[in-house]
Amino acid sequence: MSNQSKLFVLITAYLFMSFQVSADNTKMKGVINDITKIYMSSMTYIFANQPLINQKDVDKSELFGDKFLENVKQTYRAKYSEAFPKEDHFAKKILLQTMVEVMDDNKELLYDNDIGFKGVIPATYAFQISAKLATKGIGLNFKFTRTNSNIRNKLNRPDAWETSVMKKIIATPKIFYDENALLNGKPAIRQFTPLPMSPFCLACHGTPADNPLNANKERSQWTDIDISGFKMENWTVDDFGGGVSISIEKSFLESH
Amino acid sequence: MRVINAIKKTCGFLIISFFSFTATSQSLSVGLIDYPPHINFDEDISKSPLYQYINKMLSAQGFAVTFIKLPRKRASVELLKGRIDILMPLPLNDESIKTLTYPIFHSVPGLCFKKQNFIPILSATHRLNTLTIGVPDNLSLVPALTDSTASLVYLKGENATSRGMEMTQRGRFDAFYHPSPVTVYHRKNPLYKELACSYFHGYSTPIYIAVAPTLPSDVFALINSAYQKTLKAQSYEYYFANRE
Repeated sequence: MSNQSKLFVLITAYLFMSFQVSADNTKMKGVINDITKIYMSSMTYIFANQPLINQKDVDKSELFGDKFLENVKQTYRAKYSEAFPKEDHFAKKILLQTMVEVMDDNKELLYDNDIGFKGVIPATYAFQISAKLATKGIGLNFKFTRTNSNIRNKLNRPDAWETSVMKKIIATPKIFYDENALLNGKPAIRQFTPLPMSPFCLACHGTPADNPLNANKERSQWTDIDISGFKMENWTVDDFGGGVSISIEKSFLESH
Repeated sequence: MRVINAIKKTCGFLIISFFSFTATSQSLSVGLIDYPPHINFDEDISKSPLYQYINKMLSAQGFAVTFIKLPRKRASVELLKGRIDILMPLPLNDESIKTLTYPIFHSVPGLCFKKQNFIPILSATHRLNTLTIGVPDNLSLVPALTDSTASLVYLKGENATSRGMEMTQRGRFDAFYHPSPVTVYHRKNPLYKELACSYFHGYSTPIYIAVAPTLPSDVFALINSAYQKTLKAQSYEYYFANRE
């Protein structure tokens, strides 16, 4: 084979491999984007359905099993104005199953008519998803986190990667994607999606004026303790709302 | 000649089928520990979800399975002596006990309260600071509890958990630390009327399916492989969440 032919073969092989790597990265990015949005849609559904969650003596079947998933899908379609993603990757399937498992874990509490406020709010629900996924040992990690100094649940503290990302994006929040990160010392892709502070966050993290417990009360009777028992942070819609951090070990993505 | 060949092939097939069947239709004894709502001795055991999940998997492998209800303390002894082949569900306190590769589920510890004192979110650890909380003295506690200034009252003895729950019911404790509140906080338990439990999410203990040291390695491999395939197709926790 002539030198020219060898060069041609080498360039072709290089281009083919580059194309392959680029296609894999696009696929990975697509998967991580989909699961971020599915996760956030389920949190939105949990927020929107606080009355149903905390109500007594009502049918709550919408919060469980396939009905719950259908409601999350509907929320997704309304929130993002697009079709719900195809369940074409194991990570998406696992996430949907975990959502059903978490809601079932709360079933006895949700049907307990003697308890008013159940404590199943977006933040606790999201943490239960994270905790349950961690037990599955599949290299799929979710965290709803914020800067270290303002975190309520210590188990949601950001790690070094999340801290450095938040420093970079806090002034102008935008999605940060890293295809060459590490998780548990293993190669991983990671994405941090900032969440804008919204009225539903402020019900707990805002000022006493945002606290639903203070509704229809004289200002002198207002409390700065939110419904979950934490002191409110006095944040406004202009504050940094933290974000959803999702990490997937590459070996997990490649093996599924 | 063709007919003879056909007869030979048919006989060969029947012989192979016969030996395959006898190889996998061996009997297997499975010990069960009361662990509601997964295994519930207070009702027909065939209705327990963990029984159903594992029975279906083992039966599909051709095993003739016998299930035996066992008291918690005796169960591990029976397993270690090889009087039963499998034991479930089992938190792994004894490292020498062999198990199937992955946990079947995870138990999450929590606090049980009289309903009027219920605290739903335990990551609000400051709310624990002024409480008197009963704890069984043989359990390791979660940091959220040990780091709090709650007054911890340690209970000794094997029945510490049941005594602690009773003392909480009578108002002697503000709360009681339970290693697995799911076993008591459910509508079939009369305690459900008075007590409610919340969880220390993020601190869980894996619960396993244990196997006898005497179980032949080829049988172990067969069961373990079937178990992994079953979990992958549908995890037990998902199966449990979708039960009728």
